[in-house]
Amino acid sequence: MNKELEHSFVTNLEQNQNIVHKVCRIYTSDPDSHNDLFQEITIQLWKAYPKFRGDAKFSTWMYRVALNTAITLYRRSKRSLKTTDIDTISFKIKAEDYDDEVEQQLKLMYAAVKQLNDIEKALVFLYLEDKSYKEIADTMGISEVNARVKMNRVKTKLKKILNP
Amino acid sequence: MDELELLKKDWKKQEEVLPKLSYQEIYQMILKKSSSIVRWIFIISIIEFLLWASLDIIFRATGVHDEVEIKNMETFSLIASLLSYGILIYFIVRFYLNYDKIQSTDSTKVLMENIIRTRRTVKHYIWVNISLFSTLMIGTMVYLVFFTDEFQRSAAEEQPPLWLIITTTVFMTIIFAGLIALFYRLVYGILTRRLKRNYKELEKLEV
Repeated sequence: MNKELEHSFVTNLEQNQNIVHKVCRIYTSDPDSHNDLFQEITIQLWKAYPKFRGDAKFSTWMYRVALNTAITLYRRSKRSLKTTDIDTISFKIKAEDYDDEVEQQLKLMYAAVKQLNDIEKALVFLYLEDKSYKEIADTMGISEVNARVKMNRVKTKLKKILNP
Repeated sequence: MDELELLKKDWKKQEEVLPKLSYQEIYQMILKKSSSIVRWIFIISIIEFLLWASLDIIFRATGVHDEVEIKNMETFSLIASLLSYGILIYFIVRFYLNYDKIQSTDSTKVLMENIIRTRRTVKHYIWVNISLFSTLMIGTMVYLVFFTDEFQRSAAEEQPPLWLIITTTVFMTIIFAGLIALFYRLVYGILTRRLKRNYKELEKLEV
């Protein structure tokens, strides 16, 4: 029974690992911390898996656990780099897709997102993942109105970081 | 906002450059132990319970208890022990019930509240113990001074002035309680600083 559960979990996670990697990208700045956070999220997902009954999609269920781990449960093993240096951000922008100006703008955007606090990062992450305000509110445990207001505030904050 | 829309478009492309872990690599991960804050809170809380629970045993082992017996304070000591074990059991049950509620599948806010509540239970336990300990210390002193023959019978000039005894006892109690409080503030503070900051941020209603 346990082996079966392990197999179905690992297979599910292997197929949906992008979600976890993206959370790690937002919350960490170097490969070591990325792996460390990925590891902890995997453990938390595994611990919660027996209660996963398939009433939601596995991926939907993952968002909660992954974000909760990044925001609340994860204990940074070492001081994480608080860098705003746009060359060290962990996002890779394919230069051939954009002209120079847009490419530069994207780099600055990713660097700006890194400067947000943990809660704001979660909001931006869910927004980028195309989640509705209802889903954002449910995941964070706040009202939909509050989620909207907070999101607007994050947008303003990002603008301020980009155009000081 | 144009920039955020731009980011949203690029965000999907990020998937192409994300790492890909194999089945085996993920399988290895589930065999490892968590190092989450909840695990730490659990370990530290258990240590706190054990430390306070063992005080009674330490007193017996170091001979403090024998002195209590000589001075006819057995009933007093028995009540104190029963009281402190009763408190211990009550708090352990509450701690367990709270700990059991912590689920990573809850919403972020509920999860944070449950962790904070669990930690608070242990904090209350510590405070109840400090209060009990201070009361016992002062109570014992009062008993020794006013009700034991030893003190009453000794010559007046041998006795330290009453105000000195009382001040010393109160002073020692305050220092002791203060040190413990400081220690817990540090441990508690380091463990939950980020959690509390994030909780405040989440609770803050932007209007």
